[in-house]
Amino acid sequence: MFNNNPFAGLADALPPRIMQAYIVVMFLAVVVGTLLDVYHKGSGKFFARRRAYSKAAAQRKLTSGESVSLALATVAEAAVSGEFCKWPRRVSHLLMMYGFLTYVMTTVVMVFGYPGEGRIPSMVPALWTIGGFMVLIGGLWFFFFLRVNVAYDGASPFHLGRADLFVGSLVMSVAFALAWDYAQSTHANPAATWILFGLYVFFTTVLFVTVPWSKFAHMFFKPTVAYQRRVEEANGSSDLPRPTTQNHIVRS
Amino acid sequence: MPTYTDMTRCDGCGECVDICPSDIMHIDPVYRRSYNIEPNFCWECYSCVKACPQNAIDVRGYADFAPLGHKVRVLREPEKGAISWRIRYRDGRIKEFTFPIRTTPWGSIKSPSDYAAPDLSTLSSQLLAHEPDALHIPALPTIKKA
Repeated sequence: MFNNNPFAGLADALPPRIMQAYIVVMFLAVVVGTLLDVYHKGSGKFFARRRAYSKAAAQRKLTSGESVSLALATVAEAAVSGEFCKWPRRVSHLLMMYGFLTYVMTTVVMVFGYPGEGRIPSMVPALWTIGGFMVLIGGLWFFFFLRVNVAYDGASPFHLGRADLFVGSLVMSVAFALAWDYAQSTHANPAATWILFGLYVFFTTVLFVTVPWSKFAHMFFKPTVAYQRRVEEANGSSDLPRPTTQNHIVRS
Repeated sequence: MPTYTDMTRCDGCGECVDICPSDIMHIDPVYRRSYNIEPNFCWECYSCVKACPQNAIDVRGYADFAPLGHKVRVLREPEKGAISWRIRYRDGRIKEFTFPIRTTPWGSIKSPSDYAAPDLSTLSSQLLAHEPDALHIPALPTIKKA
């Protein structure tokens, strides 16, 4: 399971070209879906208006060096999910984010770099499996215990709504991918293996095609907002009160 | 003026849902961010505004005068024991106010179960449980008879 290219076993029934085309189509679905989401919600207009307001209200102009420095600080914050104020949500998001990136990148490497080759550097399938397990651990932890509607709003841990489209399809996609890989490595019943593969493809397609309706695009929006907020704080256009200079904590 | 959530700032932590005494701060089923489900029922206690760690909750008037351009923003600084408000009037004037909210570190207040159970004889006392020690004073002031 950790050593073999799971996509190599498909090569007889499914030519590598079709698998590669599928990945390209899913990539395009994410791009088109995000653009549709931006258009439908008016996010582009909202950011443009906020940017214009910030520019007009700025008390000083930022140098390009300062802008780059703020962008780097934003990337550094996003890389460690620093915007979360509670560590369990932060850890689960980090597991999902890095697990998903590892899982997707190794999938691309295996499908494009080693089409139909069963014996590949063992690090690649190992990282694919580890990435998948990271998504599963972070995703299931988040789904059953950390979703705010479950933890704070009284919803059942099994509650499903539109907000769960992203995390639900992500977890199901990865779970069936790992199950399919395990079925292949143990030479399980071929019909069962194909059913698992079909479910893996179905949930993967749901994950990438439903971007306009799911929370997938939040991974692009959040850093944009975080950067704009840093710019507003730096150029003096933030509408928040200035931090106080007095410390009122006088007792321990 | 009732509260509303700026969804671009909210990270869906649920603190406002937990603290709202009117139980009107809930989680949006589409975006999983908080929102005020019934502004008419808001007590305007601003507990959620103060509790939000992301400064994502503001207050605004009702629809008949909200578009006039006023704004109320709040910054809570628990490490300094202070809360600051920035008020923008609809004619553009801005005023800022800072208030102390506590004198002990955030999270340091002991729950009643952390104290030893009071002696039964204290039931006949005028003092409440753990007074005056819990108030950090040697004794409660008394009124002298004229």
